[in-house]
Amino acid sequence: MVNNKAILKIEGITKRFGNLVAVDNVSFEIYKGEVLGLIGPNGAGKTTLFNTITGLLLADGGKVYFKNQDITNEKPYKICKLGMSRTFQVTQSFISMSVEDAVRVGAYNRHDERKVEDQVNQMIEFFGLNAIRKKKCEELGLAPLKRVEVARAMATDPDLLLLDEAGAGLNASEMSELMEMLKEINREKGTTLCIVEHVMKMVMGICQRIVVLDYGELIASGTPEQISSNQKVIEAYLGKRAVK
Amino acid sequence: MIGSQPRPESSQGGVVQAVIQNIINGTMMGCIYALITLGLSLIFGVMNIVNFAHGDFVMISMYFTFWASSLWAIETVATPLITFPFLFLFGILTYYLIIHKTLREKYVIQIAITVGLMTFLRAVAQLLWKASPRAISYSIVQGTFVIGNYTIMMSRFTSAVVSVAVIYLFSLFLNHTWQGRAIRAASDDLDAASLMGISYKWTYALAFGLGTAITAIAGGMLMTFQQVDPTMGLRFGLLSFCILALAGLGTTLGIIISGVIVGIAESLAMGMWDPRASSLVVYMIFILVLWLKPRGLFGRK
Amino acid sequence: MQNLQTMKQKRSIPYTAIVLFIIALVLPILFRRSQYNLILLTTVVMYGVLATSWNIIGGMAGQFDLAAGAYLGLGAFTSGTLLIRWDITPWLGMPAGGLIAIGFAVLIGYPLFRFRVREVWYALSSAALVSVLRVAFLMWEEVGGPTERYIPYHDWSFYHLRFSSYIPFYYIMLILLVIALFINHWLSRRKLGYYLLALGDNEDAAEILGVNAQACKLKALMIYAFIGGMVGGLYACLYGFIHPKFFSNTMSLEVAILGIVGGMGITYGPLLAAAILVSMREFLRASLGGQMQSLYLGIYSFVLIIIVLFKPQGLGALLRDIYSRLNYIFRKESPKP
Repeated sequence: MVNNKAILKIEGITKRFGNLVAVDNVSFEIYKGEVLGLIGPNGAGKTTLFNTITGLLLADGGKVYFKNQDITNEKPYKICKLGMSRTFQVTQSFISMSVEDAVRVGAYNRHDERKVEDQVNQMIEFFGLNAIRKKKCEELGLAPLKRVEVARAMATDPDLLLLDEAGAGLNASEMSELMEMLKEINREKGTTLCIVEHVMKMVMGICQRIVVLDYGELIASGTPEQISSNQKVIEAYLGKRAVK
Repeated sequence: MIGSQPRPESSQGGVVQAVIQNIINGTMMGCIYALITLGLSLIFGVMNIVNFAHGDFVMISMYFTFWASSLWAIETVATPLITFPFLFLFGILTYYLIIHKTLREKYVIQIAITVGLMTFLRAVAQLLWKASPRAISYSIVQGTFVIGNYTIMMSRFTSAVVSVAVIYLFSLFLNHTWQGRAIRAASDDLDAASLMGISYKWTYALAFGLGTAITAIAGGMLMTFQQVDPTMGLRFGLLSFCILALAGLGTTLGIIISGVIVGIAESLAMGMWDPRASSLVVYMIFILVLWLKPRGLFGRK
Repeated sequence: MQNLQTMKQKRSIPYTAIVLFIIALVLPILFRRSQYNLILLTTVVMYGVLATSWNIIGGMAGQFDLAAGAYLGLGAFTSGTLLIRWDITPWLGMPAGGLIAIGFAVLIGYPLFRFRVREVWYALSSAALVSVLRVAFLMWEEVGGPTERYIPYHDWSFYHLRFSSYIPFYYIMLILLVIALFINHWLSRRKLGYYLLALGDNEDAAEILGVNAQACKLKALMIYAFIGGMVGGLYACLYGFIHPKFFSNTMSLEVAILGIVGGMGITYGPLLAAAILVSMREFLRASLGGQMQSLYLGIYSFVLIIIVLFKPQGLGALLRDIYSRLNYIFRKESPKP
């Protein structure tokens, strides 16, 4: 499945907020078809990096290539048209819309009026949202809301899906359900996944490769086994706790 | 003579003199506008709500000053001593009763609530004081003094000085007191601020109350040389929004400079072109800023 | 089962709509004796048109527009001036006014939507546009100026859109209302409509899903401004003169309030709000006279604040709730969520 062809290439991305360097000269690649974990302690700059890649924030330096196209500082909707989508750490739901309408917004990305209904039904089916498809998003709990968010992102037919703290706030059984779902997406739809987490356990079970950020810098990358025995990573996680 | 522009007679170099006279007048007005804007930016910076009713609070303050001065014969310059605490309470009450509930709503709803408040205040003013303009009959700061060829109205001059002094006091308050720092912390990072034991609800209410109360001082000062009528609120609102857009968020000095720029532009437009043109010019500035520098000239975000 | 329910929903609205439409057709015949009642009806329908089209930019796209008066004024001055100066029929003047309104809408919409400036700046600049156009037209003596410009009198001319009764105006306004409602209804089940609703809820999330926020908002604004301009053209003929006071901040405010109170994103909500609030306003005006003029604004804003605080979905949603509750009681159907 993994054929070492980079679908996303990040070269020296830097993002500053005033004097604070949130992301400092980070470079890595995501290979086509893989499940990549992006980990790091709280405040390591993971979400900022995601926002910069997807065009919600403007990068101060560096380049992002998606499918060999330069998409640095491109508008978010154009990036989506090229085949990249994402979810948010704090769910950004369409509160006044029903579940199926929220999915439909994503589905319109690649489907016109005639075909959009099929895509919506397919996604609702795939993500098991049939029972709540008419419900308003604001009435949903966190777990189904996250599911809707993944469904609506997948409805855009992305080749690469970025998940920002998909597991945050979920309990153990909801978490494992989510992991199963993500594995299924990767296996059945062939979508490349990049998962941001600060909970190590979740990424270890599902990712084939992991990169680690700390204080805006890339400090390690490798297989889950390599990462869990990497001295720098252990320091970043345990060292910080020890100080606290 | 209240509200009229002192116009120099045309003579040699009359145009230059008129321009300079207008710049002087505009600078003084600009300081008062900056004071009004400070209240707006305090609220906007802290809770990300632009209070559409801000200009109408100025209008209400002016009426209160009119009342205090005509009913109880209180000196106009001193009326803020009464109206300030009153508007402070009014602001806090407004926050708890209506603003707080909309903080988590969509932007449209947040805008709707302050637009509703603005309309409500205007309607109340129209019912209480009718549509005709009101002015105070006497203030100790009336009269003019002359520097060189230029006439300066005592009342405007005093108002400008008071405004700058109040702005300075406020920046001291924000930088050097616990409550002030709490407000600044909340505007920087709400989550971190609440971790440090700052109650965001009270901080928000405080900011809203202070932002509203500032209009009491501005209103009192304006009343020494201007008339008030119920539709004035929108004009002050737009003026202060324009200044805020020009200044961007974050700097007190930026607000003063932007206030003076807008004040001068308005005064020049009124004096040199057409008395009705002031809003035209202010709006041009506003649109130009939004086209060219959407984060303001001095903005930090 | 699912299909059955949606089919029912789809059918129930047109039935009610047809009944209401027939009532709207008959109303002027009932009131034909009183010109006052006829102009009141026309005014209610006019606010209905404006608030319904406001729903596209305000209710759906979430842009708090306060420029209804600007578009109306531009439409009135375009069509009025064409008629006074060159004897060009308002039937051409109305769409021309709509196009000019679009021009100004784009002028303020483009920079704001391009820079993703917060919604509040849009609200402000649209409010400012009204004041500025009023001043500009007061100063522009060739077209505007401080005195009314009267449209030549014709007893009954379809070409000049001048009639000695308000009944034709009522029906033309009603046509505009049907068009506005139709566009709303049509949009609400098309790509643009879903995109606008998504933008109104959460702009970042919508853009990530492929929504071009700037283009969508501009489209919504253009539709709204065009309808506003058309209404303006008719407004000039209805009152028989043009004056810069048509650029009214108060009217713009009223339209936005009706849009919010009626229910954002609900096709029939703003019309409902217009029917209730505008009739109330006219009733107050007639019974209290001039000295209590502003009381209605107080009531408008009070209703707005109450609705926003306790039922932000608006009167339309309230009515829908009651309707489904009644359904439940009488037919033992489960209430719709």
